[in-house]
This record gives sequence, C-alpha cells and structure tokens, in this order.
Amino acid sequence: MQQWIILFRKEIQENIRNFKWMWVPLVFILLAAMEPVTTYYMPTILKAAGGLPEGAVFEMPMPNPAEAIMMSLAQLSSLGVLVIALISMGTIAGERKSGVSELILVKPVSYFNYITAKWASYILLLLTSLLLALLASWYYVTLFFGSLTITHILGAFLFYGLWLSLIVTISIFYNAWISSQGAIAAATIGTVILISTVTSVFGTKLSWSPANISGHIHEMLITNAVPSALYGAAGLTILCIICLLIGTIFIFQTKYASRKSE
Amino acid sequence: MTILQVNQLTKIYNGHTAVHPLDFSFEANRCIALLGPNGAGKTTTLRMLAGLLAPTSGTIQFTGLNGGTDRRQWIGYLPQYPVFYDWMTGKEFLMHCGQLAFLSKAEADIRSEDLLKRMRLETARNKRISGYSGGMKQRLGIAQAIIHKPKLLLLDEPVSSLDPIGRREILTLLESLKKEMAILFSTHILTDAEEVSDELLLLDRGRLIEAGSMKKLRGKYQTTKIELAFQNDVAHYQEKLQNLPGILEVQINRDMLHVDATDISVARTVILQAAAKENWPLTSFVINRTSLEDMFVKVVDQHATMDHSIS
Amino acid sequence: MAIFNDINWAAIAPLLVIQGLLILIALIDWLKGKSTNGPRSMWLIFIIFLSMIGPILYFVIGRRQE
Repeated sequence: MQQWIILFRKEIQENIRNFKWMWVPLVFILLAAMEPVTTYYMPTILKAAGGLPEGAVFEMPMPNPAEAIMMSLAQLSSLGVLVIALISMGTIAGERKSGVSELILVKPVSYFNYITAKWASYILLLLTSLLLALLASWYYVTLFFGSLTITHILGAFLFYGLWLSLIVTISIFYNAWISSQGAIAAATIGTVILISTVTSVFGTKLSWSPANISGHIHEMLITNAVPSALYGAAGLTILCIICLLIGTIFIFQTKYASRKSE
Repeated sequence: MTILQVNQLTKIYNGHTAVHPLDFSFEANRCIALLGPNGAGKTTTLRMLAGLLAPTSGTIQFTGLNGGTDRRQWIGYLPQYPVFYDWMTGKEFLMHCGQLAFLSKAEADIRSEDLLKRMRLETARNKRISGYSGGMKQRLGIAQAIIHKPKLLLLDEPVSSLDPIGRREILTLLESLKKEMAILFSTHILTDAEEVSDELLLLDRGRLIEAGSMKKLRGKYQTTKIELAFQNDVAHYQEKLQNLPGILEVQINRDMLHVDATDISVARTVILQAAAKENWPLTSFVINRTSLEDMFVKVVDQHATMDHSIS
Repeated sequence: MAIFNDINWAAIAPLLVIQGLLILIALIDWLKGKSTNGPRSMWLIFIIFLSMIGPILYFVIGRRQE
C-alpha cells in the first residue's frame, strides 16, 4: 500500500509540474460553460452581426435546464474525450519509450501498483475537472434557463463520471498494449466512437451500454428519478472498467517481460 | 559464499538464440566483468538477471532468498543509457526509488543525502535532472541503483560513454563498492575489465566461451615472446636461433626477431649464452607478454574456428 | 452598441478570466521551456490567437516533456 501511495503521489506531482492539473480543469470548465452561454446569446450575436435579411423572422427555441446541461455534457463527450485521449496517451507508453520505466520496474515494484496508481491519478484529475465543469455549467444554466437542484448535478456527475472513467481505462489499456502514443490516442477515440455507434444503432436493445449513460442522465434530470437502466448501465460500466484493468495488468506483465532489448 | 546461481539461462527471440544456455555463479563481494563484442548478448543477460526480461528457459537463484521475496529487492541495475524523470530533482528521484524499494521516508532521506554526497551531487541535489550533464546522470544512475543496498549490482557498459575523467571516477567508485556488494558489469573494453574485476566472463554471440579469474585466463592464453634487435642484418641470426634447443619459431618483424619458445626461462638462458659466446651485436633483448587485447582476440577466434569446424 | 448592453458582462467575466488564465499558463510555460516540438515562435502565435485550442495544442503537442 505504501508503494502504491508513492507511485500515485509521483503521478500527481508530475501532472502538477507539467500543468495538467491547471489546464485540464480550465478546459473542461470552458467546454461545459461556453455551451449555455453561447446558446443564450446566439440571437443577440446574430442580430448584432446583422446577418439576417430584412423581414426574416428569427426564432430560436430556448432549451430547458435539463437540455442545457445535456448540451454541456455533449461538449465533454466530444472534445472532452479528445482531451482525455491526448493527456493519457503516453502515461505508460511514454515511460517505456524513454526508458525510464527500466529504472522503476527494476525496483521491487508490483505491476498492479504501477498501473492502478497511474489509472487512479488520471481518474482523480478527470473527475475533479468534470465536477468543476458541471458546477460552472450549472451556474450559467440556472442564470439563463432555469433552476436545477444540486442533487441533479451530483447525480449527473456521478454517472457521467463513470463514462469518463471508462474512457480513461480504455486509454490505459491501450497504453500497456501499444507502444506508439499516436496509435494509443487513435485507438482510444476509435473505441469510444465504436461503442457509441453500436449503441446508437441498437439503442433500445443495448440500454445498459455505457454509451447510453448520458441518455439516461437526461431522463433522470427530467423525471427526477434514477431510471433502472441507468443503474444497469452504471453496473456494466464498472464491470468493464474492472475487466479492462485486469486485462491491462495481465498484458503489461507478459508484454514487458518479453520485450526485446534494444 | 555463493550468492547467485544461474542455471541454463537461455533467451530466444523469434527463433534467434540471443543467449545460449548459460551457467555461472556469483560469490559475495566479487566484481565480475561481462566481456564481449557488441551483440554478444551482454545486455540481454543483464536484463534477464535484473528481472526486466523473462528468460526463455533456465533459472536464476539467490541463496538465502526465501520463495516469497521479490528478487528485485536484492538487485541494483543501471542500464547503458539511463533515463530519469527529468522533471524531478536528483534528490526527489533518489527518494522515489528508495521508497519504491520499501525504504521508509526517513531511511530514504538519509540514504539519498549520503549517496548525493558520495556521488558529488550534493550541490545539484535540488536541481532538475533535465539540467544534469552526462557524467552527473551516470553518477545519479549508480546512486539510484544502490539506494536500497542491493546484494548484486548490475551495470550495463557503465563507462563506455564517458570521457577519460568520468571513466576513471566510475572505475574508482566500483573499486570501493566492491566492499559492499557483488558487482557484475558489462563492457567491450578489456582494459576496463582488467582494472577492477576479479573475474571475467567472456561472451561471444550468446555463448559463454571462457570464464575465470584474470590470473587463470592469463595462464591459459597468455604467451610470452622474446624480442631481439641487432646492430646488423637480423636474417643471419634467425637461422642460428632456430637451431637452438627449445625454440619453437623465429619470425622477422620490422628488423626485430620474435622468438617463440616452449619454456621462456630456458630459452632466455640458451639465447643469452649463445649471444655471449658468439658475441652477437645485440641492441635489445625484451621479454614481452601478449597483451590482454591479443588474448581476447585469440579466445574469440579459437571459439569461432571451433564453431566453424563443427558446422 | 446594443449588443454591449444586452450581454450580462458580470456573469460572463469568470469565463473570460478562465480563458485568460489558460493563455497565461501556456505563455509562462512557453517562456520557461527551452525548446518546443516545432518552431517556438509558431507556438507563441498559436497560444495567443487560437483561443482555447491554442493552449491545448501547445500543452499536448508543442510542449516538450523536459
């Protein structure tokens, strides 16, 4: 356990020194908060720009609070995922490429500790960023579109956090497997797109799919109750995360031990 | 006391045998040089010992290490080109490595400070490693390898990338570390091996072709020659020497005669007696031992011809 | 300027501050770092003129892990 904490602390320290703990939360806040703001001011901006021909009637329906929050989550689902893939693509692969992992793994470091400490450090960074982003979005949604309770926001955070955690886990998994950082980012994004596409094609049949979490969150925000399918999707996501982590450690162990020396 | 026993250690990569079954053992507090040309399998062997590479077959056993303990606890390793977390300071990196090897924070702190001093890095202890010079990195590399007081220190080409001063520094350091742990270091430079090691393991194309103490190897491979120079034409004396008892071969080499004999001390007496009797115009009489470099070439050559005759 | 009065600047201000902060952090790191992947001056332009994308690109691609 002490060793795990040492490894975890190193990851946190590294991501503070390379500014990830600064810029990732800021970017998440901007991504999430910009949506309600630009949506609200879109008619004003268009009017000021004078882009509308004389006599044209411009009607833009304003979203309800739940829809507005969902717009923020949609931003995080696209650009946010890109950011996750980019910041985590080198966490293991980069250390292996540079060779610094040789010095670390020749110490009596357990592979389980090495991988889960990295995983946990990225989960902590992204959940913190997500929480700040949702709070910022909540502020503007309440200001412009109407109120939502903090319970709604925390519920959205909890369940959407699972989806982001799964994406981090996928990236860590590819990190143990693939050595090129670009390929890891591409594979991570590709996998997320695949899960989302398959889910949207067979939507009703796959209501427990992790990619359906945001849809279920929307339902939760409207109905004020957690739909049972959301519990199902959450459970399945946790299961996927655990399986992927076990797979990661297994692959890392065999892959590392059989690596050809340069 | 034997601390490590290696049995039939083998590594095969995609059908290519990088290390043929290897057997050797280690005594505590000995310094052993793993000598061989590039591509001989030195790095592969070291990485297998360090636990960074799984052997295809064979065993590596530490005496006194009970089943549950990780072998890496007893091993310190410095790769040929060590890479650090450049964003850490030297002190931080040592602390990190020490604590990963289960030193407590207080222990790691004492040990880090001690090693920083010993490696002459105390002024750079709070500087980022990214600003370290090559020599400083090499010293930090040794410090991280011995932070947890391993029983066996493995060094991959520790001096080959250093300038003469850095080289000397590391060799002196190895000399003093010998008192604390067993050392196995690889090198392709024979004089480095000769300088600090007690024993040699000679590796060529993945095979252990010779092993033993320096003294033993010298006795086995080193030949001695007598070199003679004369005031006038040497060809005249070549024949005379050839006819003396106990002389095997006499060659002319750049106005000098190189004499090979079964027993050098006998040959010396015979030649000097003849020279005195016939009043040879000798200008030089040298007994020359073949250099280790020659010996190295000879061993590798012998091995190669053997290989050839088998296949 | 009607638009100026239509917008609740007090509410928007935090977002502008965050945007500025992001650029500032990227600039500080750009100043401190010795080298970048690709021309250094190009990254300065990216950081300043590409709003949010610039600093992100700089941190992910341009910044050399020292």
